[in-house]
Amino acid sequence: MSIKAAPLHQKFITPNFWVLIFFMVSGAGFAYFRFFEGFGSVTNLNKAYPFGVWIAFDVACGVALAAGGFTTAAIVEIFGREKYHALVRPAILTAFIGYFLVGLAVFFDLGKYYNIWHALVYWNGTSVLFEVAWCVMLYLTVLGIENIPNVVEQFSGKVNLPGPLAAFNGLGNWVLGKADWFTRKTMAFFVIAGVVLSFGHQSSLGTMMLIAPYKLHDLWYTPMSPLLFLTSAVSVGIPMVIFEGTLASKFFGRKPETELLGSFAKYVPLLLGTYLLLRFLDLAYRGVLAQAFDGSVAGYSFLVEISLFVIPYFALKSKKVRHDSTKLFLCALSVICAVVLNRFNVFLIGMDMGPNWDYFPSVGEFAVTFAFLALGVMMYKFAVNYLPILEEEH
Amino acid sequence: MKLDRRKFLKIGAAAGGAAVCSVATPARARDEREPDPNWYGMLNDSTRCIGCKACQVACKTENKLPTESTIGDQKVFGDAIYDSPRELSEHTYTLIKMHQDAATQETTFVKQQCMHCVDPACQSACIVGALKKQPNGAVKYDSDLCMGCRYCMVACPFSVPQFEWQRAIPSIKKCTLCSETRLKKGEPTACAIACPAEAIVFGKRTDLLKLARNRIEAEPQRYLDHIYGEKEVGGTNVLYLTKPQVAFAGLGLPDFNYKAVSGLTESIQHRIFQYFIPPIAVYSILGGIMAYNQRRKNAAGKLGGDDEY
Repeated sequence: MSIKAAPLHQKFITPNFWVLIFFMVSGAGFAYFRFFEGFGSVTNLNKAYPFGVWIAFDVACGVALAAGGFTTAAIVEIFGREKYHALVRPAILTAFIGYFLVGLAVFFDLGKYYNIWHALVYWNGTSVLFEVAWCVMLYLTVLGIENIPNVVEQFSGKVNLPGPLAAFNGLGNWVLGKADWFTRKTMAFFVIAGVVLSFGHQSSLGTMMLIAPYKLHDLWYTPMSPLLFLTSAVSVGIPMVIFEGTLASKFFGRKPETELLGSFAKYVPLLLGTYLLLRFLDLAYRGVLAQAFDGSVAGYSFLVEISLFVIPYFALKSKKVRHDSTKLFLCALSVICAVVLNRFNVFLIGMDMGPNWDYFPSVGEFAVTFAFLALGVMMYKFAVNYLPILEEEH
Repeated sequence: MKLDRRKFLKIGAAAGGAAVCSVATPARARDEREPDPNWYGMLNDSTRCIGCKACQVACKTENKLPTESTIGDQKVFGDAIYDSPRELSEHTYTLIKMHQDAATQETTFVKQQCMHCVDPACQSACIVGALKKQPNGAVKYDSDLCMGCRYCMVACPFSVPQFEWQRAIPSIKKCTLCSETRLKKGEPTACAIACPAEAIVFGKRTDLLKLARNRIEAEPQRYLDHIYGEKEVGGTNVLYLTKPQVAFAGLGLPDFNYKAVSGLTESIQHRIFQYFIPPIAVYSILGGIMAYNQRRKNAAGKLGGDDEY
């Protein structure tokens, strides 16, 4: 455990860098039309589908997939499984990036984006969105604080600004020192707060569509939805850590952490099993399972979603699968796809807002979504390169 | 943490117990909102509507809305379509449509607009409270408060709120019940004034219910014995009558049950955040576990490494 995290300090401007820049620039091009010509010029949103891929993927999936942060923090810091300490910093970092992107996506999706601060001032306690907005905002702040030690560790006492800015070196060191003192004193408070806030908005996202009982398909319209959203987010936390960890070792040319990740994956069947148990109990209790076989798009989508959940549940019970890096990665990917499809089902595919209207995301919507993803990857690349996030190879 | 572990766990357990109780209390339905006797509304008598669309024109004039064309639709649909425009939009707050009942083939005209619900889903959903039930009964939209999230469009069971998809700074658009432009001056809604067939009657909701009941009693063979909007989704300020041969569902007025659609989300929200007990309880329990593990780790004198399942 004495191995310390360190910045990678690799060459930053690689061919992949330019690929990311390409996606970000094309997204920015479409963003121009979104902000100056209206939604109609970029998106396929319409009166029957007021929420599109920006909400279903960028926001709903973004929040769910950032669950790696609070689940890892909870397992390691709260439940004391110190063995997985190496996974905490990257998980907290990706969660921060994830929530930052969620905030950005919301900004893009709001018609009157300049009124986004109204959520802070004009309260409507009956609105589910009100709760989601507050929790996401507070949690983003908590994640920011949880990431402070990385910056402090790297730069405290070593602030060395170029040129005339050197005059601020003393101030910089003083600020970092204070930040260090503050985070040391309060980190336990913020770690737990992060978990509680995550519980709050992960579940509230599941409450959101319950306001439309006549629009959301019976397969997903259940009063249990908040609990199902929460438990599925908890289940996807570890798979996300595995997914990101595997890709990071591949792209940064590091030794794969299969042993650590494989060992971490043993919690997945437990968490996923809890989710699936609740899910099937709910479906059975409400007696709607037959609707999955009525040949409708929603029915098929439901079956695919459930299969993507169930297969990795059984596969990951086997130690052999967990310690095979390819199979482990595929299982993690399956859980991730299952959660993504689940959110799409609730927010788009299972929503029937009336006849005559259809929705499939436009090129512009895809481009902006990919730009967000590229920005996220770029932020991650930047952070692990210059901050002590990833631990030295074992 | 100054509290010792025993105390900490005790507090946590107590708080946790309270939280479980608060969540486990039987789904106490949210108070049902009672309609205010001073609320205004409209009675749309579809048996009297002659489909002249004078109300549509009056609405466009009153709200200074541009026209919408359906020229070319014949190419798309193969048949000339009577309804023009075909759906509510950001330029059309009210619409007359022709409906044919699937079972009886009987046709009828029906008017569509905001229902000005007794317990509006849009009001419950709006994150900033930009949609509010007014003392005069209208559900009013405040474009200065709105953030443009479109959750109201999802929430409305009648899919009434419309969004300005073509504008850089879009707002939600819907029927205002002429609240600001006419009701304030003591005038009825523009559509009701324009109707030559008394198919749209403006008045207080309580009076309209009486009128509707009288009409049904006077001509029972003419009307289906049901006033749509009296109870549906908790009640609406716009009420409907139909012919016996034409079901309301055929008029785009589905068989909604009598509870407000926002009941479930509001009671879930309410229970999760009741006096902040559940979040505080979760916080205490997690804090207790954390403190316990810290203590054990310190007692062992080394950094964990324990690996039990």
